[in-house]
Amino acid sequence: MRRRILLPLRSFFMQPAVQGLGPFVLLVIVWALVVELEVYPRAFFPGPLDVLRAFGSLVYKGILPTYLQDSVTRLAVGAGVGMLVGVPLGLLIGLHPASYRFFWPLIIFFQAIGDIAWLPILLIWFGFTLTTMTFVIVYTVIFPMIFNAALGVRTVPVEMIRAAQSLGASPWRILVEVLIPGALPNIITGLRNGLGYGWRALIAAEIIVGTSGIGFMMFDARRSGSVVEMILGMIVLGILWYVVDAGVLRPAERATIERWGLVRQVP
Amino acid sequence: MNGRRTSGVVAVAPAAPRPGTAVRSRLEAALWFAAPFVVLVLVWAAAVRLYGVPLRVFPAPPDVAEALVQQARTGALGNHVWQSLRRVFVGTTLAVLSSIPLGIAISTNRSLAALFTPILRFFSVLAGIAWIPLATLWFGYGFGAITFIIFNAVFFIVLYNTILGVTRIPQVLRDAARSLGANRRQVLTEVLLPGALPNIVTGIRTGMGFAWRGLIAAEIIATNAGLGYMLFLARDFYRTEVIVLGMVLIGAIWVLIDRLILAPIERRTIERWGLARIVT
Repeated sequence: MRRRILLPLRSFFMQPAVQGLGPFVLLVIVWALVVELEVYPRAFFPGPLDVLRAFGSLVYKGILPTYLQDSVTRLAVGAGVGMLVGVPLGLLIGLHPASYRFFWPLIIFFQAIGDIAWLPILLIWFGFTLTTMTFVIVYTVIFPMIFNAALGVRTVPVEMIRAAQSLGASPWRILVEVLIPGALPNIITGLRNGLGYGWRALIAAEIIVGTSGIGFMMFDARRSGSVVEMILGMIVLGILWYVVDAGVLRPAERATIERWGLVRQVP
Repeated sequence: MNGRRTSGVVAVAPAAPRPGTAVRSRLEAALWFAAPFVVLVLVWAAAVRLYGVPLRVFPAPPDVAEALVQQARTGALGNHVWQSLRRVFVGTTLAVLSSIPLGIAISTNRSLAALFTPILRFFSVLAGIAWIPLATLWFGYGFGAITFIIFNAVFFIVLYNTILGVTRIPQVLRDAARSLGANRRQVLTEVLLPGALPNIVTGIRTGMGFAWRGLIAAEIIATNAGLGYMLFLARDFYRTEVIVLGMVLIGAIWVLIDRLILAPIERRTIERWGLARIVT
């Protein structure tokens, strides 16, 4: 009898969704307890219910959905443009030794400058506009794309290229049917890394440029001293990234690796 | 090979045949590395002159050099660089010292590690910049808030990677050490720490990469000294030559830290203790 109750219970706890979410439920409970015990003044450290209420009110007012849409659109546009420019450039650098020699040091240096350091001069050039933000995100996404696309084509086994050549494939067909598919797992990994960076850049750009978006909402809340909205912003950012990463990027990475890559573990 | 050899023989990278050739090939590599920058500066100088770009929009290389001399002479530049480096150093040291022991403590218990991993992933995604508004509220504008941002960016990523590293050590290795009579401390220092080291070092490098960006953002928002502040102050006065100088310094300092300190350490630990992996 006990077994019959415990077994479904156990299988319930073994489900991946529960295993993934369980810790967060615990975290929220601990958080609520700390707030209830008034360890910190409530104004500085609000509880989960306050945040939920703020969520409700911001959704009701339509602020949160609009800002969320702005942030996601910026990220998507930036990632798209970054991929369109970064992948061909990476392929060129990976396939052409002379351009590799020339561009590689420059790429390392410009990646090190970092997106955010561009903001001041971009503000002079473009002002507080969408162009500034798109530039920053494209800039961040592009480098991991170049790195990984180049790495991808360079690690395609030379036997594969020779095999295709000896079967009479033209250089174009080798590029399309051997090199690009071979580099695809790396390209997707690059996209994933690039979005990880681009994501942070977006938040910083929205905080500093500040016209709309989740980052702007958080900094606006800072100005009015509303901790609830800051924490809400952080949670929304975290969840959004989780959804994008676990729901879109990781499956894409896994699928391409299974289809075209060598056997490799996706972390 | 994951195990550590105890015979005292240290696996060093294969030595070059003669010291002279090693120096020469190093020098050659450095020259090859520098050459594209020379080209870039020349193109930059030519383009600015050819199109007559005003200083308000973009400076020419001599303007930037002049700004460098001028800022260095007043001592402002030294102060900005020093402030930025100090914050990174303090924040990173605190984060590394606290996250590694905590990570190992958590990962010795499998269910505890399973409990913490999703939460840590969540926080390492949030790390750094997203904390700026809250950090300034909690710590006020200045050293505290910025060090907290750095700490935060490094702490969660290193903690996550430590746990990942320890839980990935094959159980066989632990069992082998234990059956050979190693006590808990020996298992910790001879198996767990060395086995997790490649992951830990990778975590530190990634974390510091995020921290450096976070630092610039935080300095733009929340302080009155540091490289980020220098950039943003210059923007208010449309001093593009100071902005470009700051950008070049930010890039150069990070390349030096990353390529001369972090990447060699990462390569060494992976060669020594990790499985074969490509370090980019």
